[in-house]
Amino acid sequence: MKSTLRNILHSPRFMVGFVIFMTMVLTVLIYPYFVPRNPLLSLGKGFLPPGTYFSVYDANNAPTFRVELPEADTNRLQNDLPQSDRKLMLDFLKAKGVDTSGLSSGNDKIADLLEAWKANYDEADVKSSKYEGFTTQAKRRALAKLDKKLNDFLSNASMKVIRGEGEDLQEKNVSGTEYTRVDQLANSVSLPLGTDNFGRDTLTELVQATGVSLLIGLIAGTVATLLGLIVGLLAGYVGGLVDDILMFVANIFTVIPGFVLLILIYYSVGQEARGIITCAMVIGLTSWVWTARSVRSQVISLRNRDHVNLSKLSGHSLFRIVTTDILPYIASYVVMAFILQVSSGILAEAQLSLLGLGPKTTEVPTLGLMMNWAKLFGAYTSSNAWWAYFPVILVIALTSFSLNLMNTGLDQVFNPTLRE
Amino acid sequence: MRKILSLVLALAMLISVVSFAAAETATDLPRNETLYFGGQQWGPSNGFNALSSNMNNAMVIASNPRGSRTLMFETLYMYNSLDGKLYPLLADGDYQWNEDLTQMTVKIKEAAKWSDGTPVTADDVAATWNTSVMIANNTFSGYSPYIAKVEAVDGAVVITTTVTAEGKPTNPLQVLNFLSATYILQKDWLATLAARNDNDPAKMLEDPAEDIVYSGPYHGYFANNQLVAFVRDDNYWGASDTMWGTLPAPKYIGHAIYSDNDAALVAFTAGQIDVNQQFIANVQKLWEEQDLPIATYMSEEPYNICTTMPTAWYNMEIPVLQVKEVRKAIAMAVDYDQIIENAMTNQCPSFAAVPRSVMNPTDGEQALYDHDAVKDLQWIGKDVEGAKALLDAAGIVDTDGDGYREYNGEKITLNACCPNGWTDWQAAMEIVAAAGQAIGLDITTNYPEWSIYQTVFTKASQTEYDIFMYSPAGAEPAAPWSRVRSFMSSDFLGVENNWSGNYGHYKNDRIDEIIAAIPLTTDPETIKALYTEATKIYLDEVPSFSLMYRPDYFHAVNESVWTGFPEYNDGDNIPPADCTDGYGIAALYKLELIK
Repeated sequence: MKSTLRNILHSPRFMVGFVIFMTMVLTVLIYPYFVPRNPLLSLGKGFLPPGTYFSVYDANNAPTFRVELPEADTNRLQNDLPQSDRKLMLDFLKAKGVDTSGLSSGNDKIADLLEAWKANYDEADVKSSKYEGFTTQAKRRALAKLDKKLNDFLSNASMKVIRGEGEDLQEKNVSGTEYTRVDQLANSVSLPLGTDNFGRDTLTELVQATGVSLLIGLIAGTVATLLGLIVGLLAGYVGGLVDDILMFVANIFTVIPGFVLLILIYYSVGQEARGIITCAMVIGLTSWVWTARSVRSQVISLRNRDHVNLSKLSGHSLFRIVTTDILPYIASYVVMAFILQVSSGILAEAQLSLLGLGPKTTEVPTLGLMMNWAKLFGAYTSSNAWWAYFPVILVIALTSFSLNLMNTGLDQVFNPTLRE
Repeated sequence: MRKILSLVLALAMLISVVSFAAAETATDLPRNETLYFGGQQWGPSNGFNALSSNMNNAMVIASNPRGSRTLMFETLYMYNSLDGKLYPLLADGDYQWNEDLTQMTVKIKEAAKWSDGTPVTADDVAATWNTSVMIANNTFSGYSPYIAKVEAVDGAVVITTTVTAEGKPTNPLQVLNFLSATYILQKDWLATLAARNDNDPAKMLEDPAEDIVYSGPYHGYFANNQLVAFVRDDNYWGASDTMWGTLPAPKYIGHAIYSDNDAALVAFTAGQIDVNQQFIANVQKLWEEQDLPIATYMSEEPYNICTTMPTAWYNMEIPVLQVKEVRKAIAMAVDYDQIIENAMTNQCPSFAAVPRSVMNPTDGEQALYDHDAVKDLQWIGKDVEGAKALLDAAGIVDTDGDGYREYNGEKITLNACCPNGWTDWQAAMEIVAAAGQAIGLDITTNYPEWSIYQTVFTKASQTEYDIFMYSPAGAEPAAPWSRVRSFMSSDFLGVENNWSGNYGHYKNDRIDEIIAAIPLTTDPETIKALYTEATKIYLDEVPSFSLMYRPDYFHAVNESVWTGFPEYNDGDNIPPADCTDGYGIAALYKLELIK
């Protein structure tokens, strides 16, 4: 026992998988103490990119300090008028046939560029003249938008904040050298993975979803392994008619593709009844077959060993023989099968939910549901929001990777043919 | 022996692959002459029978008062949702009502010709109506309560309305819907159809009508389970100066059949679709962030013209929903801004910008009711405290402390339903459910498949869905009267397979009187007073509540190949109707190639 444990702990594969898996489990357990927010709470509106958000209102009320950054003006210009905008301006001027030899997108030449733009851009002219490359509505609109921005930008040399209501207005000048400390702001929120389509904090949701998916995997794995074990033990040890009947059922399950069966059962259960427990049970009940078949074959080979026969002769009960004389010999195999069942349970939930057959969204997040909503809201097509689906994929991949790694690690320890 | 056999098999496979590939190239359309559509045709089509409604040939048979698709078959008039007017197509000039609105005269354009070269006449219009009556198709069931007969008199079409006991027309507005919705077919061809099907209505409706005579600019080119294609008829009568003065720009119309919205969206962004009718979340990112040559009708939010309002209907057969306060409380608690920003990604105006009523957000309809008179009844939403107070006052409280309120001693449990895969609606239902949870009502969502959903909510009586979504009448010649009717009229009570309105089975005698009165009223002030009263009743009784404003069509274009699509305020007055529906087809005559 001790040496087996030592062997397991010395298996690098197992340890890597174990560490990854435990890190995830611990994160799931500990995270809520640090961020006690309801993961289904809608914070923002739609997909917000990752970052730290602070209130503009609070920023205007916060105490200010004078900081003079030498590169402040350049940074501001870069930010207000990024290179892409400058390129668009140059492209347009070229298309219109303006001599652009003296113009460039450099910071020092920006005034010239703006002047050339003001002299040449006219919305109606762009529409009627059809300059090459600027005939589409999209391009024309991009130019119009840029022009509007440039007008605002040019007129915003100084900035004033007006506060109060009605007659009692207070005016305050805001200069470019006023700064405030981020931790002095009354409200700020850090969204390391942005928000999903409902405006929920993706990281918080992801952590809870991982927990739920692990739970689904564990329940499904337990159900599948237990069922497979019982059927396999009975069929293998008792044999005869019992074996025939049990294997008949198992064979039926084998020939019907598991996932199709899963979809059909799940669909007929109806969304009303789809909680995480139902979800896990259904997955478990459709994936016990392979465990049962392998356990059965192992039991058959154990059935006629001497110690089993001795036990039989001593008049031990079926239960006792199975638990003390057979089970210990296949325990390692069962543990490994269990690990794989957990992994495939998690994947099955993700697949089902991705198809829109998952548990109800209002109650719990799961990895599959997060993927489903990201897909429905075009996170990887029109909405361009990688943070809504990529971390979820990564977690699914890591979970099944770590579990499979643990499984191969164990295999190396227990399987004599693989032992180094 | 085995070697020879395998050689033969391999050869056979090779030949079949090559021949399929050859067949494939034969059906390729030249990209520079083809306008590709998306989001209209799902699954292969069944034929060209414009009398029938189950041809699944969406590019040419889509009959709707808001503007029928007139690529192949044409209507008398084309509806323009921008100004609410009817523009003549086969008709010549405006229609003429007689003094008491019981008879309408429509002239037919002299230039209008069938594809076989014969002129379109008033006789054809009369024959179309008479055939519809004979086979009892949708035209018949939709308009026979309002239209008594359609005849040809001195070369013009005369439509006589049905009349009430007092001798007044039943509903002149529905006759206008008939003008913009009904495809006109050739009398001779209708006779052929009747003859070959032994005058059997069922057989006539099933006939795929591959030989149908049409009057529009396009006709079937080929169709398989991957693509439906139509080719221009260069002898199209509309090229005459009395109509468009030219032929439509694209020689071919194509619509690839995609497996789902995602596949269509990918094709659209890749430039394989030119005109797309599909909700695209955060559509502006396609040009702002991905720099694609894609545009919607308007360059800024809401990007589209919203003409309808997807609505959550209360099932009046559920006892707790018969309590007005419960209906109002749920509606008050819903965060509509969240729906608009999330479900519609801001592609419609908010309820703060356009306060709720029975009107869509177009200026024409908004002017039809007295805004100040209903101000106190309109709610903006997200008023959880107000909703709780309303429920408390009505005595609907949580007595057993489980966090949920009870009604008659039972926990209030409701479901909120919409079809699975209808993304924006699903998101809206999630938000309705969240509102219910916030005010102590256990509302959960349920998304049945559309094939099931459509059979349940249209039943004359059902208790499966408590709160469910569907849209009332959108923009059409008879709007907004038709919308008031679809919200609350008891005409639809007890009707099986009811697709017309009042899905929650609400009943109110005063509203029925108003609905009966509006079509016969001509004085604008009286009409306004009636609409105001209808709005008051609707907002006070809350038989249903609109969740958002929404376009009838999503109209997005990719200008990789074609340009010159209609734009907001471009002076052409062409509505964003996907370049095909109603007056939207005018866009086809303005298109140009990008280079």
